[in-house]
Amino acid sequence: MADLSVTLAGVKLKNPVIPASGTFGFGREFAELYDLSLLGAVATKGLTLEPRQGNPTPRIAESRGVILNAVGLQNPGVERFIENDLPWLKSKTKVIANVAGSTLADYEAICARLDGLVDLIELNISCPNVKCGGMAFGIRPQDVKEVTHVSKGALKKTPLIVKLSPNVESIPANARAAEEGGADALSLVNTFTGMAIDIERRRPVLANNTGGVSGAGIKPIAVRMVYEASKAVRIPVVGMGGITCAEDAVEFFMAGAAAVQVGTQNFSDTLACPSIIGGLNDWCDRHGVGRVSELTGALKLN
Amino acid sequence: MRELNALVLENVRIAENIYSLTFATEEPVPVRCGQFAMLGVNGFPLRRPIAICKAEGNRVTVCYQIKGAGTRTLAETYKPREHISVLLPLGNGFEVGAGQKRVAVVGGGVGIFPLVSVIRAYCAEKEIYAYMGFRSRAAVCMEYELRRGKSLVISTDDGSLGRRGTSVQAFMDEIDKIAPDVVLSCGPVPMLRALKSALSGRGIPAYASLEERMGCGIGACLVCVCDKNDGTHARVCKDGPVFDLSKIVL
Repeated sequence: MADLSVTLAGVKLKNPVIPASGTFGFGREFAELYDLSLLGAVATKGLTLEPRQGNPTPRIAESRGVILNAVGLQNPGVERFIENDLPWLKSKTKVIANVAGSTLADYEAICARLDGLVDLIELNISCPNVKCGGMAFGIRPQDVKEVTHVSKGALKKTPLIVKLSPNVESIPANARAAEEGGADALSLVNTFTGMAIDIERRRPVLANNTGGVSGAGIKPIAVRMVYEASKAVRIPVVGMGGITCAEDAVEFFMAGAAAVQVGTQNFSDTLACPSIIGGLNDWCDRHGVGRVSELTGALKLN
Repeated sequence: MRELNALVLENVRIAENIYSLTFATEEPVPVRCGQFAMLGVNGFPLRRPIAICKAEGNRVTVCYQIKGAGTRTLAETYKPREHISVLLPLGNGFEVGAGQKRVAVVGGGVGIFPLVSVIRAYCAEKEIYAYMGFRSRAAVCMEYELRRGKSLVISTDDGSLGRRGTSVQAFMDEIDKIAPDVVLSCGPVPMLRALKSALSGRGIPAYASLEERMGCGIGACLVCVCDKNDGTHARVCKDGPVFDLSKIVL
């Protein structure tokens, strides 16, 4: 029985497996299938200050080994989350509130509202900045640093994870920018922007035309990016991108991740997270690894 | 709702591009009519949401149309004695009220399959009038099941079997005669739109089961939403797939 616990920005998780934002709602539906206290934490559906309706449908498409989604941040707004879902979810597991905004002021306000109420905040910076021509906050290092700094300034109690976009020029530069902005941890990767075309109709499958690519097919790129990010910073990194099994998670740990998130695989197998937790324990036992945290950064380059 | 590894008992073609898959679960799973299952297909990240036609004890039958690579793989590789990953039962299903005696079921295309489960569930206690539309004679299937009610009118787009035209036209020709207390439907969106418009102002409760591309199938991912009249969204997989036809925007 290996010690699967990890500490992330001062928060102790019983294990390093976290369902990724957007694939798990606020946990209620999956709680009908298994006990959420098995999980290290839950990353919530992306929250905004006000309720959002999201994009038109179809919001999902499939391509070989991957899916594309363009849900568009549909969510009930942070107030309804705090009132209806947070007390229940907190009673089950550690809560990572994933938050998004359209302006710096949005990020500041939502962080201030959730400060002290949740265990960790994960900043989704892949949203368009409406005051900056719609370019996402997460693209240029100076913008990453600024949105991180503003958000961190609103947080007195809750540690901040900045979730990096992979659709950027340099992962190390953006990782460092988030660290300089005051991030307590990083998570990556968010989805890759892609398109799937219905060739019979000569139209994109997604109503939004483009969407975020996730799933097993992106894993090698994600592992490389997690490796690059973890080399560039001193703060812990949460790795994700195409994890389907415990062995995939081990790859991310070796690349430098302190914990992992599992997203798309929750759709293929609703019991994916508990299976991965069980599989991690078995893997550690078979390999004489006493603590899963020993694996973080255990990679030896050729 | 259960995540199960089921045993394939049968997976056979029953009409042009239409297959019937029966699998056994280790323990009986209670299923209401109009509920659906998510079927895992090896090599495809997304499971396929498929309406449940029949559920008897631990045997469940779903029928599906080959639409793309996923459903083709489902038809070609899941032979008897293979295992298939299934998540079920999902969604709200159809419910007929105690005071609703005369029930019209109006289906089109693969929309007939959830209605098979409705007919099976209520044929003993209700008067069921079925109107089922198909593209052509080659697509017609499950006639035996569809005939369990009081009557069945089959229509085909090309007139190769039954009436020429749609099931909605066939239903509206008889609506005054059968005077239904409730209308249950499933089919392509244009069909549901035609039904909604034909029923408007008549005051007959009508429900429709919707189809949408899904992610999780259990209400967590907010992928498969539909628009409601009040401007909000509902999740097809969890709040539906059956909705009051007068309360949704098609």
